[in-house]
Amino acid sequence: MRVDVRALGACNRLAERGAKQAAGALSDLTGTDLAVEVTGASVASGEDLAESFAGRESIGVSVGLRGGLDGEAVLAFDAVNADALLSLLPGGQSMERSAVTEVGNIALGGFLDGWANYLGKAIDMSPPRYFEADGAAVLPDGALAGDGVFLFESRLDATTTDLDFSIYMLPDSGPFRDLIVGKTAPAVTAGGEADGGTTSTAVPYESLSTFSSLAKRGSANAADNISMMTGLETSVDVSRLRFVPLADVPAEVGTEPHAGTVFELQGEPSGYLAILFEESSAAAVADAMLPMETDEPLGEMAQNALCELGNVMTSGFIDGWANVLGTTISHSPPEFVHDIGASTISPLVAKLSQRQDYGFVIDTAIQTEGIQARCDVYALPDERELARALDRLSES
Amino acid sequence: MTRSLPDDRPDDPATSTGSDAVADADPATVTGGSAADDRGRIKVGVGELAVATDESTLTTSGLGSCVAVALVDERAGVRGLLHAMLPTGEGRPTAASRPAKYVDTGVDTLIGALDDAGADPRRLEARVAGGAEMLDLTDAVGPRNVERVGEVLDSVGVPIVASDVGDTVGRTVRFDPDGRLVIRAADGFERAI
Repeated sequence: MRVDVRALGACNRLAERGAKQAAGALSDLTGTDLAVEVTGASVASGEDLAESFAGRESIGVSVGLRGGLDGEAVLAFDAVNADALLSLLPGGQSMERSAVTEVGNIALGGFLDGWANYLGKAIDMSPPRYFEADGAAVLPDGALAGDGVFLFESRLDATTTDLDFSIYMLPDSGPFRDLIVGKTAPAVTAGGEADGGTTSTAVPYESLSTFSSLAKRGSANAADNISMMTGLETSVDVSRLRFVPLADVPAEVGTEPHAGTVFELQGEPSGYLAILFEESSAAAVADAMLPMETDEPLGEMAQNALCELGNVMTSGFIDGWANVLGTTISHSPPEFVHDIGASTISPLVAKLSQRQDYGFVIDTAIQTEGIQARCDVYALPDERELARALDRLSES
Repeated sequence: MTRSLPDDRPDDPATSTGSDAVADADPATVTGGSAADDRGRIKVGVGELAVATDESTLTTSGLGSCVAVALVDERAGVRGLLHAMLPTGEGRPTAASRPAKYVDTGVDTLIGALDDAGADPRRLEARVAGGAEMLDLTDAVGPRNVERVGEVLDSVGVPIVASDVGDTVGRTVRFDPDGRLVIRAADGFERAI
């Protein structure tokens, strides 16, 4: 079975529509205006999911699906996030169960409406079931055993708080499988970004799990390199590869000032990699790397230190990719950036947007012991080249 | 599809009497997913545009190489803001579905939306911000965006009355109801043009 990675764009648009419905419904319920800030689609293997859900508590709603889609859809909030949600609702805490059920039901309804429209077939939803779950028990039945699960994650921007929620769907439902396999995808992409046929971005379904290996191997290597260079124990906090509209990437970085380094990648895949720290984190890291105190927090010496750090991290990243993909990738010298976060990444997004509308973003937070610092790595590969490399990998 | 106008529209500007086009216009016409919040602030995302005919403030943040084009017809009280990413949509498959991604198709679409909202395209004035050269790695996307804005506006006869473009700094902009464009840099320094 082959999957057109660009068909993930269609999935993403449907998810975005669902998130907008959810935002609208929540706005009505709470009297607060909410906007959808980011919606991303990603694929995760059962193993990764079990790992990332360890120790997490979730609350949410699950519905059974029949008709146009068969199976189960689950909408979940982190238990911590649920408090933010409830604080928005009038009468909040006292009506936790019914409020969450209502919100989940509306959001899933909106999400599935989009799918039904797209498929031209009605989807019947069973009544919503409220649940509180530990760890991976939140996921639809069978998620941990199969090839993986599709995640649609959305962040809503409320005036006072951000609200994250995730929708999980299993890919073994017929039409959904058809869509991602690409059978129905040309109809979706034809009016959009299909400018070169869909075959160039089709990859074997199995290699989707390679996506998460890319994220994991890359960031683990980067962390190892930091440990080696600084002698400080460094760990990878989160790492996942997501599929997002490129235009959303700057909003994801946000408007806070960031400092870091940007690289151009050459090889297969080519693309860009940005390692961004919030200002205070950047200063803390540079400080820890420099032998003496400096007058300026992010002056020339700090910039050199961050460039050096960026170099070893990027080498780690692309070595990890090259190992997984069996390709050769090289990177340009680092370019230091220090400005509004979204602004630093906008030229990269513009550059890639000339060829594609969606990008794979690898979210990685790397933490170094003893330093209050974290950074985000945005890896933006050329989608055609990445698909080609994945494809070749599965043939060998 | 016909949409009936809600009755409770306290924010309709006084100028919206007259033509049908004005009566039919939303106080804020938005394409591409921007949204107003409760402070009358309409956020315009990357590759989006929005029009306001009331006291709303239009904002867009994180301009790097992207360019913001703010157009106003002061007499009609109609304003619009575009956040474009690339200079030319011509020949690109997404130019039709996402015109605001490009300077040329974006400016055209914005002028059309302003016209629909009751502005007279002959009275429009433009303010432009962004188009910085943030990186050496990427080839001058910012300056090319700015250049294209000049060409496109010139071809439709809309004068640029003020601009804050180029350089190597990121910008966040706010388009106020009085038609001024307030630009803020990463260090918090603000200036109005």
